[in-house]
Amino acid sequence: MASKNTAKKSLKLAPVLDLNEATALHERLLSLKGSPVAIDASAVERIGTLCAQVLMAGARSWEEDRVSFTFAKVSDAFVKTTQLIGVDIAPLMAKEI
Amino acid sequence: MDMNEIKEIFFQECEEQLAELESGLLRLNDGDRDPETVNAVFRAVHSIKGGAGAFGLDDLVSFAHVFETTLDCVRSNRLEPNQDVLKVMLKSADVLADLTNAARDGGSVDEARSRQLIKELEALANGELPQPAVSEPAAKPAPPAAPVAAPAPAPVVNEEGFQPVVFSFDDFEASEPPAIEPSTFEILFRPKSELYAKGNDATLLLRDLSRLGEMSIHCDMDELPALGSMNPEAAYFAWKISLKTDKGEEAIRSVFEFAEWDCELDVALAGGDHTGTGEEPPMQPVPFDLSLLDDDVPASSGAAEDEEQVVAQREARDDAVSAAATASNVLQMAQTARASAESNRSAAPTSSAAQAAAQQAASAATPTIRVDLDRVDRLINLVGELVINQAMLSQSVIENDTNGTSSINMGLEELQQLTREIQDSVMAIRAQPVKPVFQRMSRIVREIADMTGKSVRLVTEGENTEVDKTVIDKLAEPLTHMIRNAVDHGLETPEKRVAAGKNPEGTVRLTAKHRSGRIVIELADDGAGINREKVRQKAIDNDLIAADANLSDEEIDNLIFHAGFSTADKISDISGRGVGMDVVKRSIQALGGRINISSKPGQGSVFTMSLPLTLAVLDGMVVTVANQTLVVPLTAIVETLQPEASAIHSFGASQRLISIRNSFCPLVDVGRILNFRAIQANPVDGVALLVESEGGGQRALMVDAIQGQRQVVIKSLEANYTHVPGIAAATILGDGRVALILDVDAIVAASRGQTLKPEMSLAAAG
Repeated sequence: MASKNTAKKSLKLAPVLDLNEATALHERLLSLKGSPVAIDASAVERIGTLCAQVLMAGARSWEEDRVSFTFAKVSDAFVKTTQLIGVDIAPLMAKEI
Repeated sequence: MDMNEIKEIFFQECEEQLAELESGLLRLNDGDRDPETVNAVFRAVHSIKGGAGAFGLDDLVSFAHVFETTLDCVRSNRLEPNQDVLKVMLKSADVLADLTNAARDGGSVDEARSRQLIKELEALANGELPQPAVSEPAAKPAPPAAPVAAPAPAPVVNEEGFQPVVFSFDDFEASEPPAIEPSTFEILFRPKSELYAKGNDATLLLRDLSRLGEMSIHCDMDELPALGSMNPEAAYFAWKISLKTDKGEEAIRSVFEFAEWDCELDVALAGGDHTGTGEEPPMQPVPFDLSLLDDDVPASSGAAEDEEQVVAQREARDDAVSAAATASNVLQMAQTARASAESNRSAAPTSSAAQAAAQQAASAATPTIRVDLDRVDRLINLVGELVINQAMLSQSVIENDTNGTSSINMGLEELQQLTREIQDSVMAIRAQPVKPVFQRMSRIVREIADMTGKSVRLVTEGENTEVDKTVIDKLAEPLTHMIRNAVDHGLETPEKRVAAGKNPEGTVRLTAKHRSGRIVIELADDGAGINREKVRQKAIDNDLIAADANLSDEEIDNLIFHAGFSTADKISDISGRGVGMDVVKRSIQALGGRINISSKPGQGSVFTMSLPLTLAVLDGMVVTVANQTLVVPLTAIVETLQPEASAIHSFGASQRLISIRNSFCPLVDVGRILNFRAIQANPVDGVALLVESEGGGQRALMVDAIQGQRQVVIKSLEANYTHVPGIAAATILGDGRVALILDVDAIVAASRGQTLKPEMSLAAAG
């Protein structure tokens, strides 16, 4: 895996990921491009569609780069919202082995 | 809010209920047998009774109670609402209105009348039919009720004035949409980027949607580009949703109410079993319990602090984003409120939920607020000042700005457009349908018809035509006069009508419509028409015209607008005190309106009133006359032309005519009429404004020059100075000077006064 050479980075998401947060999240995610990333969504209380879009676009790009992109920790609200909007994050969940 | 304010609201609602009551009864009178109409009538009386009870208005309560009991008989089909029954009910509605007014303003009520009606209503409720055409049917002891129709009616009122009323919600429920069987809808929802730009969020919409029933969802991410090339604020996700709900399509669409323009939405009943066939995209069921996501309020307040930290951590954001944040919060609040209202409603017991839903459905169509008229007036005044100020600003910029800086000019133009829009919107606040005034007229017709023994039917059209509130308020009085006249003088007695081969029931038709920026109200009767011989003779007797005056039919008809003119041989209570039509004409003119009459012997008369839509602004043509700036109302002007010397003809001593397309039109020098100059100006040097006068005749008004067209704010001369003949009002121009607004009809009338004499002297000489 290409991730071998680079240290895994963590990205802690803000509690409120509403419409205003999308651009900032996009920038932060872009700055991590190329490195394996573990998203910490444990503090998320609310996530809007725009931020979900950014996260899913990120997941795809990381996949294309064959770099690991996982959700390390998720809050209940985060899970429920992704279920509500039909975004399946199960394959991206960090697997505890 | 103190008790008096609540009471005031109650009375305002009473007015609405009374209007509802009357229009419902009139619909029934026209043969409408829709149970919902009967229900609406019943509800109106019931609400008045309920409110009156809360304020201890006993007279109102006891009358409303008897009325309601009788209406309940109609509602339960125990009483057929025929013409005679409805006559009593319409009278009762009038008394109910009187009682309401008395309770509010402390006036007195005709107690004998209300007692009489209570008896009549009780008789109806007891299954006794009113005896038609007898003045006091219920005064006689009631014959033992025929035991056929009503099964042994209980005494209507007990000692306290109350009786248990069987109150069922069956009818309300029946009018509800029947409970919808749960069905599955397939929804395609593709937001556009605008949806997010406006602070809406698809997540919230989906959450609301999921509350309607059992939902499964598939998110279509095909459009989602790579992270590097995506615009984080654009819409990429789209959804295919399957929703099993018993709320119906309407409820689904209402979720997207705020967003319908910003998304593609397709809602369709799923064909057959919805659970995925092979080609369907995999649907992900949405968990039923989403309560976690509901806690918007605490979440956002807690989040606010967190957000501050985040803000501190990252680069400063621009203002536009924070504005968007506010917008999104407001929208979220609105949606949360709506969601919680919905969940509360579903938790409430079914019967009251059904009722609440019915009420909500009724009120949801057009949410309204009550605003003091004073506040609106203040706003209108301020906007008027703004318009003047803006005009002054434009003018001084134009005067001082020799370079013609385009950005300033463009800014000013935008400002001008904005002020105009603000003004139009403010005017729209004051615009009201003429319906309430028209409704009042139906009562007047009923009463006069009763007093004169005539049978009259009032037909109204265009009740929803809107006009400024002031115009409406001032319309009631002249209209009342005219309706009285139409019934008292215009219509014949039933015997005479039958003899003339007409329907014994006379018709009075009241119509309102918009025509070229004015409201036109027509009052037509199918009576005998104006007796021109009689009018002419009366005018000669009263020295209004010379015995040998040669008057057109139109001029004779218009004589009835003269002061002190009444043709009724005997003065009746209703009309004919000689303060009729001249007062009407004056009040219409005071409103900036015109009134016209056209009459056909044997077929009836038509009164046509043309009124401005608003009394606050006016589109005018700014003209110069003898170095004075005047404003001519644009509505009066038919055309403008530059007279040629060959078109001007002299007539008599000082009169001149202008020939326009093979017809002659009197030329009126405005400067001369208003005494701005001693001698008439040369018409060739000026401009002629062809105006239409109230009689339909045309006059060419001579002015020196036209400055342009402008919307001006009307300032009353009477209120600020004193009445000036020939001048309707004043306005303030951009340069701060006062300009007078011409009263075109008065100018034409003054010019006629001048032409009348030479005509008569000519006739005498010939």
